[in-house]
Amino acid sequence: MAPPLFLQTIEDTGFSTWLRESESPFAFYFILLFHTFGLALLVGANTVVDLRLLGVARAVPITPLKRLFPIMWIGFAMNAVTGVLLVIAYPTKSLTNPDFYAKLTVIGFAVWVMQSLKTRVFEDSSLSETEMMERGARLAKWSLALWFGAITAGRLLAYTYKYLTFPS
Amino acid sequence: MNFAHLHLLVNEFPIIGTIVGLGLFLVSLRGKHGDSRRASLIIFAAMALLAILAFFTGVGAQGAIRKTPGVSEDLIARHQGAAMLALLFMEITGAFSVVALWKSQDASRAGNWNWSLSAVLLFSIVTVGLMARVGATGGEIRHPEIEKSQDATTEGSMASKIVRRFEPSPEKFAGVMTASKWWWAFMMDMHFVGLAVLIGTVGILNLRVLGFAKQIPFQSVHQFVPWAIAGFGINLVTGVLAFTGMDQYYTYDWAFWLKMLAIMLLGLNVAVFYLTGAFESVKSLGPGENAPPFAKFIAATSMVLWFAVITLGRYIQSYSDTISVHK
Repeated sequence: MAPPLFLQTIEDTGFSTWLRESESPFAFYFILLFHTFGLALLVGANTVVDLRLLGVARAVPITPLKRLFPIMWIGFAMNAVTGVLLVIAYPTKSLTNPDFYAKLTVIGFAVWVMQSLKTRVFEDSSLSETEMMERGARLAKWSLALWFGAITAGRLLAYTYKYLTFPS
Repeated sequence: MNFAHLHLLVNEFPIIGTIVGLGLFLVSLRGKHGDSRRASLIIFAAMALLAILAFFTGVGAQGAIRKTPGVSEDLIARHQGAAMLALLFMEITGAFSVVALWKSQDASRAGNWNWSLSAVLLFSIVTVGLMARVGATGGEIRHPEIEKSQDATTEGSMASKIVRRFEPSPEKFAGVMTASKWWWAFMMDMHFVGLAVLIGTVGILNLRVLGFAKQIPFQSVHQFVPWAIAGFGINLVTGVLAFTGMDQYYTYDWAFWLKMLAIMLLGLNVAVFYLTGAFESVKSLGPGENAPPFAKFIAATSMVLWFAVITLGRYIQSYSDTISVHK
C-alpha cells in the first residue's frame, strides 16, 4: 500500500525541504536539539518527583517539588512544537511508522499520569507527607515506566522507519 | 599538534596517577590517615575520567602514525587491547572510589572500613599492573629499540601471557558492538534514559543552590546525588561502548571532542564544588536560606556545561568528518 499523497505534498513544501536538506546547523539538528532539551526538562523534572514519591531522598519536603511542574510543562511545550517541526521535516518517515503512534499514545498516558500526580497528590493540601507518598507511589511507578517507554519509542523511530522520504 | 601529541599529553596521567593513588591508599592503611585515603579516592575518580580521554585520543594517534615506516599494526592492536582491559579495571576502581567517597561523607563513619574500600584496594592494584602493561606495549610502538630488551616482560613472562588472554581484540570488540542495530539502538536508548535521570537530579540540586524552591534544605536534596552518579555511569558505559564500536566516526568529529572537553570541565566543576569550600558553604543551608555567590556560580556553570554536553552530543552526527585525516 502506497503512503497517502498528502505526505508528499508536505514534503515538497519549501519549509519541509529546508528543514530536511539545509546544511545550516540551525535547521534539522537545531530542532532535534531542542527536542532533546525538552526531554531533559520534562522527563528529568518528572523523574525527580517520581523518585521522591517512591522514597528516594526522603528528607526532601514533597510540597515544594510542586514548582517542578511548570518546568515539565515548558519541556512538554518545547517538544510539542519541535515534534511538529520534525514531522514536517520527515512526514512520510514518521507517519507511516506504527512506532510513531505508539510513542504518541505512551506520551499521552505519561502526561495524564503527570497531571494526576499534580491534582491528586500535590493539590490536595489535606494530605500529610506519608499520605502523599501512599497516594503517589503507584502513579510514580507508572510515570517512570511510561517515560521510559516514550524515550524508547522515540529512539526506535530512528531504526524502524519504512520510508525515509516519499517513495518515487 | 595532532592526535599523537594529544595522546602523549594525556596518556601518562592514568599510568602515573593510579600509582600515586595506590601509594596514598596504602599509606592510609597504617594508622589514621583519613586525608590521604580521601586524596587517593579522589585521584582514582579523576584518573577514571582522564583514562577515557587517553583511550579516545589513542585512536587518532593510531591514525596519525600508522603509515610511518617501522610502525606495526599488530603492536598497535596489542596496545589497544591492553588499554581496553586496563580501562575496564580503571573505571571499576573509579566507580568504587566514588562509592567510598559518598560513604565517607558521614563524619561519624568516615574512618570506618567498608566493602567499597576493599574493592578499591583490590581493583586499583590490578589497574596499576594493567596500566604498566599499557605503557609498555605503547612504548614499543614507537621505540623498537626497547622491544628486544623488554620482550620478556610484555610477551614472554607468565603474567603477561595470562593477561594477554583477557585482552580483547579491538577489531572483534568493535564488530560485536555494531553487529546488531538493535544492540546499538538499545545503547542509544539507555544513553537518553541516563541523560534524563542525570539532568533531573543534577538539575534539582543546582536549582536549589541557585535559589529555586528554597523551602528545601540543601542536605536533603543532596541525597539525589547517587542517582545523578548512576545516570552518569549509564552514559559513561554506553558512551565508551559506542566509541569502541565506531571509533573512526567519533575521532574525526569536532562536536565529539568539544563534548569530551565539556565533560572534563564538569569533572573539574564537581572537584571545585566539593574541594574548595563551596560544598561546606551550602551543606547546612536550611529552608529559605540563600547560597553564597561562589556556590551559585559553580551551580550555574554546572547547568550551562550539562546543556552544552547535550548540545554537542546532538551535533556529533552532523559534524562527522570535520577533522581532516592526514593519509
